[in-house]
Amino acid sequence: MKKNFRLLLVFFTLAVAVTSCNTTYKSQQLAYHSYTINDSLKKDTALISFLAPYKANVNMLMSEVVGHVEIDMEKKIPESELGNFLTDAYLHMAKEKYKTHVDAAIMNYGGIRLHQLLAGDITRGSVFEIMPFDNLLILQKIKGTVLQQFLDHTASLGGWPVAGISMQIKNKKAVHVLIGGNPLDPEKIYTIANSDYVANGGDNSFMLKDIPQLSNGYLMRDAIFDYIKYLKGIGKNIDTKIENRVTNVE
Amino acid sequence: MLNRKRFIQQAAMSAGAMLAGPSIMEAASYFNPLKITILHTNDTHSRLEPFPMDGSRNQGLGGIAARGQLINKIRNEEESVLLLDAGDIFQGTPYFNIYKGEPEIKAMTSLGYDATTIGNHDFDAGMESLATQLTRHANFPMLVCNYDFTGTAMENKTQPYKIFKKQKLKIGVFGIGIEPKGLIPENLFGVMKYLDPVQSANEVADQLKRKEGCDMVICLSHLGNKYKDKNQVSDEVLSKETENIDLIIGGHTHTFLDEPLVYKNKKNNDVIVNQVGFAGIILGRLDFEFSKFSGKKLTKNHNISVSQKTVG
Repeated sequence: MKKNFRLLLVFFTLAVAVTSCNTTYKSQQLAYHSYTINDSLKKDTALISFLAPYKANVNMLMSEVVGHVEIDMEKKIPESELGNFLTDAYLHMAKEKYKTHVDAAIMNYGGIRLHQLLAGDITRGSVFEIMPFDNLLILQKIKGTVLQQFLDHTASLGGWPVAGISMQIKNKKAVHVLIGGNPLDPEKIYTIANSDYVANGGDNSFMLKDIPQLSNGYLMRDAIFDYIKYLKGIGKNIDTKIENRVTNVE
Repeated sequence: MLNRKRFIQQAAMSAGAMLAGPSIMEAASYFNPLKITILHTNDTHSRLEPFPMDGSRNQGLGGIAARGQLINKIRNEEESVLLLDAGDIFQGTPYFNIYKGEPEIKAMTSLGYDATTIGNHDFDAGMESLATQLTRHANFPMLVCNYDFTGTAMENKTQPYKIFKKQKLKIGVFGIGIEPKGLIPENLFGVMKYLDPVQSANEVADQLKRKEGCDMVICLSHLGNKYKDKNQVSDEVLSKETENIDLIIGGHTHTFLDEPLVYKNKKNNDVIVNQVGFAGIILGRLDFEFSKFSGKKLTKNHNISVSQKTVG
């Protein structure tokens, strides 16, 4: 009898619990799986057919080999082969296209969109993947004090690719800055090649925003193509090395 | 004696049933939890095909055809699946330079995405172009609650949230966009207004959980996983500063996590945060089991099991 009473109590408790107006569904069990989407997986044939006409056109427009890369190039901070190649291209082509003296080229690290470019042929499509944005290669005349602020900003973000500049990063600031081999002069006006994206304040480069830009509508991506052509013309392939343009000091 | 026992049991049953009404039948749900499977991507960046087989680290990874096959397989195995994305659908391969987003949006429709949010690169071809692609090719909503598109081409092309009903569960999903200033070129975002993400998220999550009675609130966030500067809003900050978000599917920082992160929100409940790198290399899968509890007293803690699969 006592046992039965207990049973009764259990049912009542359960009933009350169920009818309580605050009953809600809650999740306390979670299982996480991460699937790596790998070429060995089965593929959906409908999606392959869907993509086929686009793919044929992309291949037609993008598979042309435009140059040859000598070494494996990586995207890294504070300095990388890929970053040096791109800023060399921007500095060279800015001088060429604007027919003027240019002190240095700087680009945002996040503007390199491919992590790795391996030795071998480089296609038109690869250049689009390195630089997919339709940003323009522009010039700005920047006073030394502001250039220092801008380089400090790049230092605080781990170091951006540069050409024509060497600097060290200490406590998130740019120190021992050399422009064209000479110490940065706070009073001097420097001509800097940059993307219109960064010059417009992109990647929080607000110190550049109000400085007038010289622009002829030349795409940064075209600067890469033209620089590869220029290298070919002088019998060279794409080849850069780490030159301690940007280093970390403790 | 036996009869008497049976009588008491029956009495107890009917007494319980009288009190509980139809919900006595639901007692079963204490023991048979409801399961919902969340599949997710972020920052797919126009990677419709796998990375080329050129010896690079990511060669052969990603691609919509393999992702689609895997998603279909999981849909066939599970009753309740939501497929979600955290933005930056666009930009990164020549497909976008040539087609301005058409194949990406069409592919997401084919893959059966339930919702996405807007990433900074989804502005790259301009708001008019994005609005056109969504209108023509998307049968899923782009969710964002802290961008006010009034007076732009994107006006009325997004919605703050959507509620999905899966079995007996109500799942509220909303989106949060990143600060455009200093990130998106001003000529691309124009007169769009950026609203405080923490405040907007709190308002919408509160509405979903309390007013709409959602059992789960999911935030699709393009804020970024976390930053060294703790004043910069991120998924970490959002999870700690809000009250009613259960899960944040993040993006923007291209973060590969070995397992979801768990933070405590303002009410000391768990907030699960996940992100799966970029380019569709990984498909994330979160299987939540829901049981019925008598509400308020219980703080939410999750027991998480983790596994990785290289082959689906």
